[in-house]
Amino acid sequence: MSIGHTLLGLLEKGPRHGYDLKRAYDERFGQDRPLHYGQVYTTLSRLLRNGLVEEAGVEAGDGPERKRYAITDAGVTDVEKWLSTPEKPEPYLQNTLYSKVVLALLSGRDAGDVLDTQRSAHLVTMRELTKRKAAGDLADQLICDHALFHLEADLRWLELTAARLDRLKTEVVR
Amino acid sequence: MRALLEATNLRKSFGPTPALDGAGLSVRAGEVVAVMGPSGSGKSTLLHCLAGILQPDSGTVRYRDAELSSMPDAQRSELRRTDFGFVFQFGQLVPELSCLENVALPLRLGGIKRRAAESRAREWLERLEVTGVADKRPGETSGGQGQRVAVARALVTGPSVVFADEPTGALDSLNGERVMQLLTAAARETNAAVVLVTHEARVAAYSDREVVVRDGKSREVEPAR
Amino acid sequence: MKRWFSDLALGVRLALGGGRTSWVRLVLTGAGIGLGVAVLLAASSVPTIFAERAERSSQQAAIPGEADDRALYLRWWITEYRAETVDVRYMMAGGPQAPVPPGIPAVPGDGEMYVSPALRELLDSPEGELLRERFPQKVIGSIGDNALTAPHDLVAMVGDPRMPRDSADPIARFGGPTQAQDLGPLLTLLVIVGCVVLLFPILVFVGISTRLAGAQRDRRLAALRLVGAGAQRVRRIAAGEALLGAVIGLAVGTGLFMISRRFVEDVRLLGLSVFTGDLTPVPWLAVLISALVPVLAVVTSVLAMRRTVVEPLGVVRHTKPVRRVLWWRLVPIALGTVALLTQAGSMGESSGGAGNQEVLIGGIVLLLLGIPTMLPWVVERSVSRLRGGAPSWQLAIRRLQLESGTAARVVGGVAVVLAGAIALQSVLTSVSAKIIEEPLSEADRGKVHVSLRQEPQDLAPQAVGMLERAEGVKRVHTTQSLAYRTDTRNYQGITIGTCEAMTALTALPDCQDGDAFMVVNQAATGNPAVAPGTTVTAFSEDEEITKSWTVPQYELVRAEIVTRNTSGLFLTPAAVRGADLPPGRTQIMVELDQSKADAVEHVRNAVAPLTWRTFVSFVGEIDMADRVVQFMSVRQALLAGSLITLLLAGASLLVLALEQVRERRRPLAVLAASGVPRGALGRSLLWQNAVPLLLALVVSTAVGTGLAALLLRVLDLPVALDWGGIGLLSVAAAGLGLVVTALTLPSLRRATGALGLRSE
Repeated sequence: MSIGHTLLGLLEKGPRHGYDLKRAYDERFGQDRPLHYGQVYTTLSRLLRNGLVEEAGVEAGDGPERKRYAITDAGVTDVEKWLSTPEKPEPYLQNTLYSKVVLALLSGRDAGDVLDTQRSAHLVTMRELTKRKAAGDLADQLICDHALFHLEADLRWLELTAARLDRLKTEVVR
Repeated sequence: MRALLEATNLRKSFGPTPALDGAGLSVRAGEVVAVMGPSGSGKSTLLHCLAGILQPDSGTVRYRDAELSSMPDAQRSELRRTDFGFVFQFGQLVPELSCLENVALPLRLGGIKRRAAESRAREWLERLEVTGVADKRPGETSGGQGQRVAVARALVTGPSVVFADEPTGALDSLNGERVMQLLTAAARETNAAVVLVTHEARVAAYSDREVVVRDGKSREVEPAR
Repeated sequence: MKRWFSDLALGVRLALGGGRTSWVRLVLTGAGIGLGVAVLLAASSVPTIFAERAERSSQQAAIPGEADDRALYLRWWITEYRAETVDVRYMMAGGPQAPVPPGIPAVPGDGEMYVSPALRELLDSPEGELLRERFPQKVIGSIGDNALTAPHDLVAMVGDPRMPRDSADPIARFGGPTQAQDLGPLLTLLVIVGCVVLLFPILVFVGISTRLAGAQRDRRLAALRLVGAGAQRVRRIAAGEALLGAVIGLAVGTGLFMISRRFVEDVRLLGLSVFTGDLTPVPWLAVLISALVPVLAVVTSVLAMRRTVVEPLGVVRHTKPVRRVLWWRLVPIALGTVALLTQAGSMGESSGGAGNQEVLIGGIVLLLLGIPTMLPWVVERSVSRLRGGAPSWQLAIRRLQLESGTAARVVGGVAVVLAGAIALQSVLTSVSAKIIEEPLSEADRGKVHVSLRQEPQDLAPQAVGMLERAEGVKRVHTTQSLAYRTDTRNYQGITIGTCEAMTALTALPDCQDGDAFMVVNQAATGNPAVAPGTTVTAFSEDEEITKSWTVPQYELVRAEIVTRNTSGLFLTPAAVRGADLPPGRTQIMVELDQSKADAVEHVRNAVAPLTWRTFVSFVGEIDMADRVVQFMSVRQALLAGSLITLLLAGASLLVLALEQVRERRRPLAVLAASGVPRGALGRSLLWQNAVPLLLALVVSTAVGTGLAALLLRVLDLPVALDWGGIGLLSVAAAGLGLVVTALTLPSLRRATGALGLRSE
């Protein structure tokens, strides 16, 4: 799961400072694993270095870091690319996929596209597994079936999420 | 490569609710296309329109050089008998006829003599590994056997397109896999295209590419590299 | 007891709760049973109809009295109008105390008349235009229903004060004792056979209706059985379902009957019509029907449960049913045959109708019951051997092999009607040969007789004058008719007229004035032709003047068909010149111009001013004996009944065929989707109906002819079967199958639409 892309995605709505970003992240994606401040700042500095964000002034205040960050055009392109690239189908993707869907919704993009692209990628993998299964021996078949059932579970989740996009949108954009 | 069967901008309503709202699909010779989507999305209606069972309210369906939507019913029936094959979820075999007679039925309707038709039907039953049920009635076979008989019946006439509507819907995983393997293998051997309506990903994985239908609209997804 | 009730209630709930399908089934069952109940109610009104008719005719009975001032002078005149009989009564009150006929408030005065509603309607309609000329009188009111036997009776009561008293019947009062109609053993048996044959199929139909959607119900009840309901409970639950259908059917039937009752006066079937008020079921019969129908429904449905109760899995899995056993299916036929054999000869002429009616009815019912019990076995055995054939044929045959019960039941009702009709037809033919000894002659529509009532003055010249001026008349011939006898029993007519007139009457060879002919029936046995030179007694028709007379030399002519007016001695004027014969009555014969429509009506109108003094009839028309008239009306009623029953059987066939299509919707839809042409599916439906129907024809012909033979033995009549009639009936039944199949095609079309593919 890419914290960098997620932070970029959150910045698309407008400039924020690091503390805000952490809070927004935790609120939406960090249910079980909140971010450390350190993580936020190292990620931001990497993004800054790559030209995906820029500093957008410093707020006066007591805290040591009141620097505000804004997303650059390169950053927007990067988010775009990330959202439209399916994740490599493998188990335990839900965190990343969930973030993508939420960010797509937040930024007013079509979350359905994200899901469809992912479904397509999953199916490609499933097709390969199915082909390998047909050619292989029983051991191959059992191994492939294991992977297939996991991917199928993902796909079911994708399907279910697709069916609930409208509800998710109202909750996320609230 | 030119599409063998192509539907564009199909609209079809049952009463006030639209089942298809601008859906389309193109099928090339010999490919297996999965039509996916949630229940009630219009998958089956799309399949029925493609196969000429239903007439769309608007839009066109082309098969080879012919416009299916402007054909009279008798001609469409004839086309379905000669060029298309069908596998449904259940209840497609004539309960009164033996399995062998069921498979031979489309050939006989095409005017082939009983002996010849039944010997060809027997070959197909062999191919689908269900020779044992040839003389039984569908009611006396297991679900998996029945579906294989149905596949044999769909393929016996050497169709260019096989329409399969949830062919494994009533089967367990193992039987479902077997039916799918046999169906796609046989279809590829005879260069028949398959339009496969399913909501199961593992079944759709037997396809070459998939089309997603949602709210009566279809979305063709080119295979990602 | 409480368990009983809750099981029945569960059945009712299952019948109601199955959503749209079960509603459709209930509607079909209700319609089916309802039709049967409606017909049964109508049939149970027949005794009321007869009783009311007898009551009314006894009210009208005119009791003759003294010819004085207290009498009503009455003269009947029957005139025909386009094959309808108009019954006209001319009347004149002898004085103020004269009785008034029932149905009218007062004796009509000069130039006034009362008419029945039907006659009034006819006179007012354009069709009655020609008839109006015959009634110059003013209509002053309607005749009440109490003076009519049927709503369509054409009756007029006309005042005629100028009527000579001595030519009319003095009537002292109206109303006599109700006379029970004695039909005699022959007609009684005929009526019994008719009623049983006509009503029994309706009961069969009611039984069949409760089994609509049997397969579906069997599956449901088998499921109950699988979850642990005992055989008894399942039977009770099924009884509950059947009961609901029967109750709905009773309600529908009563409603149908009440509604159609209101229109019954507008209906005429083969010349019969009935008053609404008369169409009232006999109370105890109505009670019997409302008890019998539910019982019948429950019994048939519980009997039909055998298979479900025995092998619940078999129903769920659609496996091959157990093979049917023959022996008990033969029991009703055997018992019926024995019952009828014991009655052999008992209703013959010689034994005077000593037959036991209960045994007879029982025998007939049992024999007919044998058909629905035999048919499933016959169908099963017959189709089990069939192989191969075209796909549509194969589909139909395999279907029948898998489940022939429904098909056999479908045609069972028709088969019973057919067997009954065959038996009835054969008995009718034999009986009519017995009753109508001579063949009914075809009336010659080109010639009419105008008979004149003997009057003090001879009306003939006046009538001839009127006729010659009438429209559509080609020629008017007159002849003189009288008669002669050799002894008290044998007498024959003498007709004197010109060659031209007589040749028009009967087929005479080359005729010259001075010739004499003796015309006899080709097959004549009685009335020996008197040899020329025999001295006989010649007399005028009223036998007032008799003269001894010697028969002249004549030529014998054998005619194919003879009637009173066209047989006997035919003498040219020269042949009787100088002979001392009593005066003859003038007979007028009119040759019509048949190219003119209604020529005969113009003739009737021409002599109408002479009213009751004339009677116009076609040459060759003969008067029928009362027995023949009775027979004719019984036959008419039976034919009307057969027609209704056959239609009902057709309706039942249709309902069941539709139900079959509905039940098999999915396989049919899939076949159509796979490109099976609808024509092939339609043909398979046709075979599916036609094969059992054909077998039903065979069985019902066998049972029907057997029944006919047995009944003819009971009547002591020679066994002669009416093969023409049997063939015709069979063709009609086959046609019925065809029509029914055609009518199911729209529903097949619906079932094979893509919507049929949707799972339920």
